Amino acid sequence: MTTTDVSTLAATLRAVLGDHQVISDRQELRTYECDGLAQYRVVPALVALPRTAAECAATVRACVDAGVPFVARGSGTGLSGGALPHADGVLIVTSQMRAIREIAPADERAVVEPGVINLHVSRAAAPYGYHYAPDPSSQQVCSIGGNVAENSGGAHCLKYGFTTNHVTGLEVVTPDGDLVRLGGRAPDAPGYDLLGAFVGSEGTLGITTEVTVRLTRSPESVRTLLAGFTGTDQAGAATSAIIAAGVVPAAIEMMDALAIEAAEAAVRCGYPAGAGAVLIVELDGPAAEVDAQFADVERLCRDNGATEIRVAADDAERALIWKGRKSAFAAVGRISPDYIVQDGVIPRTALPEVLRRIAEISARHGVRVANVFHAGDGNLHPLVLFDDAVPGQAERAEEVSAAILDICVAQGGSITGEHGVGMDKVSFMPRMYTDDDLDTMQLLRCAFDPRGLANPGKVFPTPRLCGEVPGRRRGVHPVQEAGLAEVF
Amino acid sequence: MAGDVLAALRAAAGEATGPADDGARPAGPDGPDAAVVRPAGDEDVVAGVRPRYVAAPGSTAEAAALVRVAAARGLAVVVRGAGTRQDWANPPRRLDLLLDTRRLAGVVEHAAGDLIVVVRAGTPVAELQAALATAGQHLALDTPLPPGAASTVGGVVATNTSGPRRMRYGTVRDLLIGITVVRPDGVVARAGGKVVKNVAGYDLGKLFTGAYGTLGLVAECAFRLHPLPAARAFLTRRAGDAAEAGRLAAAVLAAQVVPSALEVDAAPDGRTEVAVLLEGTPRGVKERAAATRALLGGATVADEPPPWWSSYPWRPGDVGLTLTAALSGVPRLLAAAAEARRRYGVALAVRGSAGAGVLHAGLPSATPPDVVARTVAELRVVAGSAGGHAVVLTAPPQVRERVDLWGPVDGLHLMRRVKAQFDPDARFAPGRFVGGI
Amino acid sequence: MSGIPDQRGRPVPRDVLGPVAPAPGEPAFDDDHPPRRELVDDCVHCGFCLPTCPTYVLWGEEMDSPRGRIHLMEQGLDGEPLSPSMVAHVDRCLGCMACVTACPSGVRYDRLIEDTRQQVERRHRRPRRERALRAAVFALFPYPRRLRLLRGPLLAYQATGLRALVRRTGLLPRLAPTLAALDALAPPIGRAARVPRRVPARGTRRARVGMLTGCVQHAFFPQVNAATARVLAAEGCEVLILPERQGCCGALSVHNGRRAEARRFARALLDVFDSAGIDFFVVNAAGCGSALKEYGELLADDPAYADRAAAFAASVRDLSELLVELGPVAPRHPLPVTVAYHDACHLAHAQGVRAQPRELLAAVPGLAVREIADPEICCGSAGVWNVLNPEPAGQLGERKAAHVLATGADLLVTANPGCLLQIASAARRLGRRLPVAHTVEVLDASIHGRGVDELLR
Repeated sequence: MTTTDVSTLAATLRAVLGDHQVISDRQELRTYECDGLAQYRVVPALVALPRTAAECAATVRACVDAGVPFVARGSGTGLSGGALPHADGVLIVTSQMRAIREIAPADERAVVEPGVINLHVSRAAAPYGYHYAPDPSSQQVCSIGGNVAENSGGAHCLKYGFTTNHVTGLEVVTPDGDLVRLGGRAPDAPGYDLLGAFVGSEGTLGITTEVTVRLTRSPESVRTLLAGFTGTDQAGAATSAIIAAGVVPAAIEMMDALAIEAAEAAVRCGYPAGAGAVLIVELDGPAAEVDAQFADVERLCRDNGATEIRVAADDAERALIWKGRKSAFAAVGRISPDYIVQDGVIPRTALPEVLRRIAEISARHGVRVANVFHAGDGNLHPLVLFDDAVPGQAERAEEVSAAILDICVAQGGSITGEHGVGMDKVSFMPRMYTDDDLDTMQLLRCAFDPRGLANPGKVFPTPRLCGEVPGRRRGVHPVQEAGLAEVF
Repeated sequence: MAGDVLAALRAAAGEATGPADDGARPAGPDGPDAAVVRPAGDEDVVAGVRPRYVAAPGSTAEAAALVRVAAARGLAVVVRGAGTRQDWANPPRRLDLLLDTRRLAGVVEHAAGDLIVVVRAGTPVAELQAALATAGQHLALDTPLPPGAASTVGGVVATNTSGPRRMRYGTVRDLLIGITVVRPDGVVARAGGKVVKNVAGYDLGKLFTGAYGTLGLVAECAFRLHPLPAARAFLTRRAGDAAEAGRLAAAVLAAQVVPSALEVDAAPDGRTEVAVLLEGTPRGVKERAAATRALLGGATVADEPPPWWSSYPWRPGDVGLTLTAALSGVPRLLAAAAEARRRYGVALAVRGSAGAGVLHAGLPSATPPDVVARTVAELRVVAGSAGGHAVVLTAPPQVRERVDLWGPVDGLHLMRRVKAQFDPDARFAPGRFVGGI
Repeated sequence: MSGIPDQRGRPVPRDVLGPVAPAPGEPAFDDDHPPRRELVDDCVHCGFCLPTCPTYVLWGEEMDSPRGRIHLMEQGLDGEPLSPSMVAHVDRCLGCMACVTACPSGVRYDRLIEDTRQQVERRHRRPRRERALRAAVFALFPYPRRLRLLRGPLLAYQATGLRALVRRTGLLPRLAPTLAALDALAPPIGRAARVPRRVPARGTRRARVGMLTGCVQHAFFPQVNAATARVLAAEGCEVLILPERQGCCGALSVHNGRRAEARRFARALLDVFDSAGIDFFVVNAAGCGSALKEYGELLADDPAYADRAAAFAASVRDLSELLVELGPVAPRHPLPVTVAYHDACHLAHAQGVRAQPRELLAAVPGLAVREIADPEICCGSAGVWNVLNPEPAGQLGERKAAHVLATGADLLVTANPGCLLQIASAARRLGRRLPVAHTVEVLDASIHGRGVDELLR
């Protein structure tokens, strides 16, 4: 866009949103140049802050009319660059659409605007004895809209599932600028599950302006233990034993020695000194069930070599156990000047083998890797540590990070369990999917966004030209013929 | 001409098979491929529409080759597994090729330690469950049908079938983690994978779930599994009326017993029952059963479910509906059903999950069509006001002429665009689905 | 990660579409204590600070969040000019340091904002009205005697230039909410309790302490100072007050970038107390305490004062800190009352003192402490921020007041005069009456067996 084009669009948006809801100042624009992935930075041409669904739709329409791409952003905490702006586009920020519209415990639902912070939903539901189950580690700041875009998980998704299992309704602004409702309070709306397809589509199919979420009855009993092991092999074996025993914990998290060191430095969580690995195992549910299974879990940890087991005696102790794990990513900044947070998934049973191979790669490249992961579902978060000031370390760190993803794919896993593809893993998609697979997914994108204006450049390496149509078209379309549709 | 098409289909099936094919090749009078591809017979009628050909691929590659021929020849295609739900939704507007998936069967991979299974779509669900049970696991999906019905995995996915335990475990959309499909143009594509946590790319599994085969053929599915519970108990309690059933259900929901299912059955004669399923450890189930019994103000406790459990409240040929509502609206649905019974004198049966807000309703086939229409319209209004929908799944032809099966559909124009992308010539299950799709 | 190196040879993050066009004008910062690059680099952009930042809570805009302000500082270090927009975002920071508490990477935002503010103060010329307003504020607040002149009937009769200044600069309407609250809360000026020069310890002397009388505290709440001296004495401290010799501690100045002025105040205070033979220097105002604890940094460049300042800073204690450190000895009498305890930002975030006041309050028989929702969010007082930014301060005050009222407590207790005024006046705007007290007043009442009525007045 030329400077004139930007000014014209800015004027249009100001007329729609109000003066203060459009940002065009150079320095202010630059503060939006990245999300939680600070390695990639692009300054948007404009930033718009709609306050209502109608304003959001009008913003998108203005972008469509101007032929300008748009990127949605919530709290800007994503780790795959999904909210990385387009230099010639508008960054549409939902942080001012942050009302909790309704808490309806009788329906087990809450209706919220996309800018509402994840944890605030649980806080609002708490007085009724409910909570919102998906709990990403950034839940005190990440937005529900962002969670919908990424299909965010969290430590408790082992038992409770991810965002897609907890969203029953959406209002979205389509890339045409129309407002559409998908689903609602009740499940199984007739037609295609566009709701299910939208969750996790990383802003490429539109922008959500209202979310109806499922609320989960808060469990009667929650019991958490922290177990120290000499190494990740033992901790992994304990995990397998617990799963094999038919226990479905609410969460099983593992951290290795390096990650423990970082967490200690940051939040002084008091993890067992000298442990090669720790497991955090949390069980929740009816007291009778939890008591029965907790004893089993303790025994299985001991049987598999736990050197120390600490059971949280109250909420404060439980919070402290979790504090270390939840601060792990940012805490790593205290033991290393720079780091890459990786996110990959492997079949859980392959954990010991994969950790061994990560250690090999780490040693070979001379790059340290701290491991934090959701042991219960095989979702790894290797933290690849390096010092940018040392020549070549950054490159080696990237190589190690990429190699880890290759291992994940080779083991039949995934290149991303939670953080999304965004822009960071676009180049890895072909390692996991064939061209046909990616082409098929993009059929969906073409249906929603034939102009290619919704968050372009994310998720898919090669955009599909939406004019292409598989198969030959013969004569009048049957749906037209049936008098049920028209071609515009 | 016909023979031309048959030959092309047979050639496709033959080319696709090679020494590596693992499906048994049943021999027939016209050669080894004849049983794979044959002209259709009376037993192949789909919702009153008779196809011209039937093909039963034994592998994804074979299926893709057949679909490619269909694409080249503009053939309309319907996919059939065990055909237990062919009478659901609309009849196809036209039908040339019936793709029978029963040879596309078998467990591809069961990773018990990872609690996942990859299975071919033509596998009967019962067979899958039997295989998983040997490792103490199961696919936590109830598939309501008369006993002996051999629904296939693909059929369950295509119709998004679910039953009582959806309350705790979710439905197909929550359990399906990976899918392999054959597009209408014959291209094979995968989405998802073999691990539960996976956000790479779009969740096409959700798109194909409940799509009634209109986007392509589902060839393989990967599911997340659950361990078979060590113990379970069913508690049943008679309720005086819809309101009481609603109160009992709400009490159970608000408590801490964590039921796997919470069902209500309202028979045409007005007899209403509430049933709760508890699963878990033996000790846990025992204690929770006692607590639930107290909540219900008394109940019968049993190892087996009540006779109406996990079955649709209608017989083949009847009118069958799905009614959904927000949880707090379920009593209203039950009350509306009772009111309809009274007002129209119809033998309306309602049964389903008060814990998920998904019920089914049935009307005998002899019910006059205009009465059916009025009943459906009323139930649709009540469901709508409770945040849900009323969808007619199946009905005799005379009723279909009078009733809008689907009701209002949000986002229909987007759905048409999706269909147009996947199947621009509208050849897969044409007219079966919402909005004439 | 590799990209174009900056002036110091460190690779800057890769801009996917190429480098940003060079900035017009002079770079924002000079060499006199710019925000430090290595502190800026500690920020990993995780965003955990956003929900605790009062301006982000109000406006939801990145530029008015700690992460965004750090980004602006980085821009300035990379050559962007000190634009009015950048200055506005820096000025809008309350300096509450909730972000420092929230940050898992340990970013020293407190250091960054202070260095940035003094750069702004020295290098940016604000619009005339704003300059006049700030001049009036700083001609007034660090001087208790002048502050007193704002009270009631005296103001009407004072024909000083100060009154004219206050009127002309529009400071008076800004002060109106504060003054209204003052009139409701503070004792009439004639009956102000006198503060002695020295108070002997009761019983065994356990420590010899100095005590800050402060500015707003001394002018409007002298009874708090009196109570402080009594409580310290009761707990075995000999208290050296020297009220006639004390001046401002410089907190307002240092928190607003007026470093030279702050250093003058600091030196003066050090001259009074640092050779008085005291073990501790006790403070009953949170903002002052946090500034005093940083005297070492403030005077690090002054060879004559650097060591004295550091030693003095190490002896500074908030009253609650000291009492818990010494261990309470004076018996407590019951006070049957429910209190909501509000964490003043400069006590909780800046000094990390949260447990001690709660411990002391909980030890009063019959007293119940209730926690306030969203405790980490500032009440909006923030020194003179509420005077300079009245509208958002009003919104923050009302949020906090609503949360306090929602606890159902009889009394609001906190350790900062600014917070007391801010929350009380917000409660009045909400149409409710909220009794407020300083932590030390509660302890004083308990130790000396006075009833709750005085506190709930």
